[in-house]
Amino acid sequence: MNSDSDQVQDTVISSPENTGEEIASSCILEMRGISKQFPGVLALDNVDFDLRRGEVHILFGENGAGKSTLINVIAGTFSPDKGTVRYDGRDLSHLTPHRARVMGISPVFQEFSLIPNLTVEENLFLGREISRAGYLRKGVMSARAAEVIEMLGFDLDPKKRVSSLSRAHQQMVEIAKALLADVRLLILDEPTASLTENETYKLFELIGRLKANGVGIIYVSHRMREIKEIGDRITVLRDGRKIETCNAADVGENELVELMTGRKIDVLFPKIDHKPTRKLLEINNLTLANHVVDDVSIYARAGEITGIAGLVGCGKSELVRAVYGLETIEEGEIVIKGERILHPRPDISLKKGACYFPSDRVAEGLALERPIRENASMAALDLADFSWMRILKKLNERKLIQGIVDRLKLRPPNIERPVGNLSGGNRQKVMLARGLTRETDVFLFDEPTVGIDVGAKVEVYELMKELVGKGAAIILVSSELPEVLHLSNRLYVMHRSKLVAELTGDEINEQAVLSCFFQDDEAKSNAGE
Amino acid sequence: MSDASVSVQKGQYARMMVFIMRWLMPICLVLMALGFAAVEPRVLSEANLVNVATQASYLVVFAAAQMVVILTRGFDLSLGMCVSSVSVLVALVMTGIVESNPQSMTLAIFLSVSAGIVFGILVGAFNGFCVSVLRVNPFIATLGTLNICYGIASTISGGRPVFGVPREFSNLVYSGEVLGIPAPIIIASALLVIIHLILTRTVIGRGFYILGSNPRAAKVAGLPSRLYLTYAYIICSVLAAVGAMLLTARTGSGEPNLGGNITLESIAAAVIGGVSLRGGIGGIPAVLLGAVFVTVLSNGMNLTRIDGNIQMIVLGCVVIAAVFVDRIRTK
Amino acid sequence: MVNNNLASGHLHQKEVNQLVRAISAMGLLPIMLVVLIAALSIFEPRFLGIFNILNVLRETSFLAILAAGQMLVLIVGGFDLSVGAVVALSSTVTATVMANLLGIMPDDVGLVIFAGVAAGIGCGVAVGLVNGLCVAFLRVSPFMVTLGTLSITAGIALLLTNGIPVYGMPKVFVKSFGRALWLGLPTTVYVALALVIMVWVIQRYTVLGRYIYAIGGNLQASLVSGVSTKTYLVMAYTMCGALAAITGVLLTARVGSGQATLGGNIVMLQSIAAAVIAGVSLRGGIGRVELVTLGALFLSIVTNGMNLVRIDSKIQTIVLGIIVIIAVALEEYGNRRKIRE
Repeated sequence: MNSDSDQVQDTVISSPENTGEEIASSCILEMRGISKQFPGVLALDNVDFDLRRGEVHILFGENGAGKSTLINVIAGTFSPDKGTVRYDGRDLSHLTPHRARVMGISPVFQEFSLIPNLTVEENLFLGREISRAGYLRKGVMSARAAEVIEMLGFDLDPKKRVSSLSRAHQQMVEIAKALLADVRLLILDEPTASLTENETYKLFELIGRLKANGVGIIYVSHRMREIKEIGDRITVLRDGRKIETCNAADVGENELVELMTGRKIDVLFPKIDHKPTRKLLEINNLTLANHVVDDVSIYARAGEITGIAGLVGCGKSELVRAVYGLETIEEGEIVIKGERILHPRPDISLKKGACYFPSDRVAEGLALERPIRENASMAALDLADFSWMRILKKLNERKLIQGIVDRLKLRPPNIERPVGNLSGGNRQKVMLARGLTRETDVFLFDEPTVGIDVGAKVEVYELMKELVGKGAAIILVSSELPEVLHLSNRLYVMHRSKLVAELTGDEINEQAVLSCFFQDDEAKSNAGE
Repeated sequence: MSDASVSVQKGQYARMMVFIMRWLMPICLVLMALGFAAVEPRVLSEANLVNVATQASYLVVFAAAQMVVILTRGFDLSLGMCVSSVSVLVALVMTGIVESNPQSMTLAIFLSVSAGIVFGILVGAFNGFCVSVLRVNPFIATLGTLNICYGIASTISGGRPVFGVPREFSNLVYSGEVLGIPAPIIIASALLVIIHLILTRTVIGRGFYILGSNPRAAKVAGLPSRLYLTYAYIICSVLAAVGAMLLTARTGSGEPNLGGNITLESIAAAVIGGVSLRGGIGGIPAVLLGAVFVTVLSNGMNLTRIDGNIQMIVLGCVVIAAVFVDRIRTK
Repeated sequence: MVNNNLASGHLHQKEVNQLVRAISAMGLLPIMLVVLIAALSIFEPRFLGIFNILNVLRETSFLAILAAGQMLVLIVGGFDLSVGAVVALSSTVTATVMANLLGIMPDDVGLVIFAGVAAGIGCGVAVGLVNGLCVAFLRVSPFMVTLGTLSITAGIALLLTNGIPVYGMPKVFVKSFGRALWLGLPTTVYVALALVIMVWVIQRYTVLGRYIYAIGGNLQASLVSGVSTKTYLVMAYTMCGALAAITGVLLTARVGSGQATLGGNIVMLQSIAAAVIAGVSLRGGIGRVELVTLGALFLSIVTNGMNLVRIDSKIQTIVLGIIVIIAVALEEYGNRRKIRE
């Protein structure tokens, strides 16, 4: 035990970047050797992380790199399996979310911690209500809530129910909630994803004030512009390991992407030879009942990858989900191979040769308790290869699925293992296998590389290349800009439920895409909204 | 280095836990049987073992019925009352026909059995409709059906047992034997084989598992979820109806209170055997184990003269314990 | 022309939506209640008889207390199937304790009554505590836990009495409390009113009530916000048990004997029905006690009306079953509608 803690101190002192004293005086948080195991994944592997007072420390990495696990450890939601956490010079173990808050650690998660049926005000004070003998002091809380909202400059009605608010407004509630208490360490997980330019500006101003007051801020973001604007230091995570911590001023964008992915950009993304031919899928003037997609028309051609880029909640994933009948359509038509689908349903689209790969594989894709074989053949049981008169041809099934699994290089290739035991990459391969069990030529990928390691990612890209080469049409919906930028032949950009651009050839670059997001905001603010 | 050894230890520990969890219930069963035998040697007598096997064959049918819906993340609280209704209905139809026309015994049995099965299909279809189309929580839907069935059973019987079920019926499915094996055991085994085949060899059975394991994934994969859900509830209620007829043949009368503890016992048997309440896990072997477990427990308590009310308490405790074990097992 | 049609169609849709929203905000319940009362008053003159009205109020009181408890558990996203059995247990325990103590100290009637009531309520608290602890700490499905405790509790109640009613409670308890009228109203009405107001205050004005809503609304978010969810889960179940036990005590005072057959599954179903009719969501997070009381009133009037027009009690259970299913199906439909909008 003793020798362990000595070792830890040793590493602190011999840290190359800073001397021990400096850290002791200026660091509000020090984490050493943090590991966290989840079933099937080592989410954090021996990660060191520290945060100084009054700095913005950016956490950078792909989805599934361990960023959210790390901030959850700091917020007390998960306890690490290994490693030490020192906060404000004190050793922290058995941290609970409640204790973390009491000690001034305020997280703002992407997954909102809001109660839909309570009002904004009630949510702001959740967990630390002002009360006398259990009796709520509503007046005091109202006044304080109004004060905080005023200070933040957010346009929020404290008496409204959270369930009636837009995503952007919920995000503001979440931030206000974090700042209500005496904050010393603020965690912001992609806070600007649903904010307008103007709101973002206000948030950055606020961050500046907090920094001046000595608050340490951990900021998770993908956006280069923000990282450059407010970041002091950047820590890059990849596959649960810390790759590097560097000063924000010292690294370039390409360097960051390469650190994040661990590959040279041209190695990561294969050269795809797009040879677009006929239109296999057309979506015309589609509007959803909930107006998350508003009058959008796109098409996908055989032999090319059609990308759809956009921020979280812009409607890009709902657009492809509508092809599968997973969203309620108000108006518009969906045409697969020249045939109009009046009432889209998953089984109809599958029969027509379109296969959708959901982004949330645990929630919508896989039956975790069931073996790989059953998960892979799930969507093809009606075919003569798999059943006769509703009776399963198990031998045939085993043979066919084994073949597909081998082709996808699933490791280990034992198809009787439950899918729940597999890593993210292998789970995605099982999903892909489903698309290969039947004649499919329209592939709808929704965030295909979320939560999978780089190796698997490359394999997924290679598979896409192969499919396109054989004349399939691929729609790639992704929040990872580099992914859509490098793989797409044509790129649609969606923003706030609308299609704002269609880019081809040289037009496909980050600048063009980002300007699409901001143009709209400017237009809106000009219109006096 | 220490890392590696820790992870090896962890792996061993996990494997050991899996092993223990898999064999926990069989071991408990053997221990329990030995315990009862120590107190009351008659437990292990041949007559009692045949008795246990016969009793278990009733329960296993009900437990299999319950399992089919639990596989789909559902539940059937109306099972016991469905049993009561079918018992009364079958007895009424049979006695009615026999009274008016004593020669037509075969017809009477055929018609009454058909009536029972049709009633089962109707109850199942109603449950299935509520759960799959109206999307009512299965607990509430079947709780409602429970009351409806209770109303039906007590109304058509007037709250009294229906006596006069012809002896021929009992001879056929209760005291009949083939090669020395009692009829209930044969019928139950046949049903189990059929259900096993449906679950493992058909598209529908596969659908039940996938639906229970992840309903949204089933939808995305294009499975006709509503249809399969309805099938599950129909299979459940039809099995309950068949079980009800077996029990009616045993008692020789249609009993409006026949179903009393059957719902709880069927759930207990299924869960004890290892059917997961989160859906997607379970099968006929599990149900068999659970049914034998519950039967041995109640048989042992009967033989050691434990009060019926205490048995109720014990069963309640066993259910909670089983659900807790299930919780650990599927963690 | 086509455009016109389209526009008017939209308008129509909009109006319908507004109507649906207005109704769902207020709830269909008050309207149904008024219609029901009006219909019964017109077609069944005995309904407005003073004796009948008192009877309805008494039944409503029992049900309202029980349903308020059930509501608390439903709000935290749970279920309590054991309430009917708790009524039976608290009835037998109250009566047994009172009868036995009265034999020992016939003069201290006050103390005897107090001890009996305390024992009865204590049983409810104990069952509720067990339910809550199992749900919160063992994380077992509330349905299964309470199904288990239902069996256990009913077993204990039967075991205590062998199914025979327990007589011998102090006369004062039955005559001047259970069957008495205060200011023209049954005593139970006052007790129910007090308890409903208490729950109302808890829901609206206390941290406890706020957390009960929060846990049901989003358990994970509550946990992350620093609410000690387990404590409040246990408290919700305990309050439910206590309220069910109080119902048992009141029923015992009314009937004049402790009976293991009081309560039971019908009562449990009624409590869920009253709550669900009043818009309590089975998904948790939503429910108000004042509406639940109206729900209890509605159910009592329905039952009373069926009695008056001589509908067999067996068929009444069928009606109850159908009402529950319809209520939940409507709630489910409303939810899906809301999500789509």
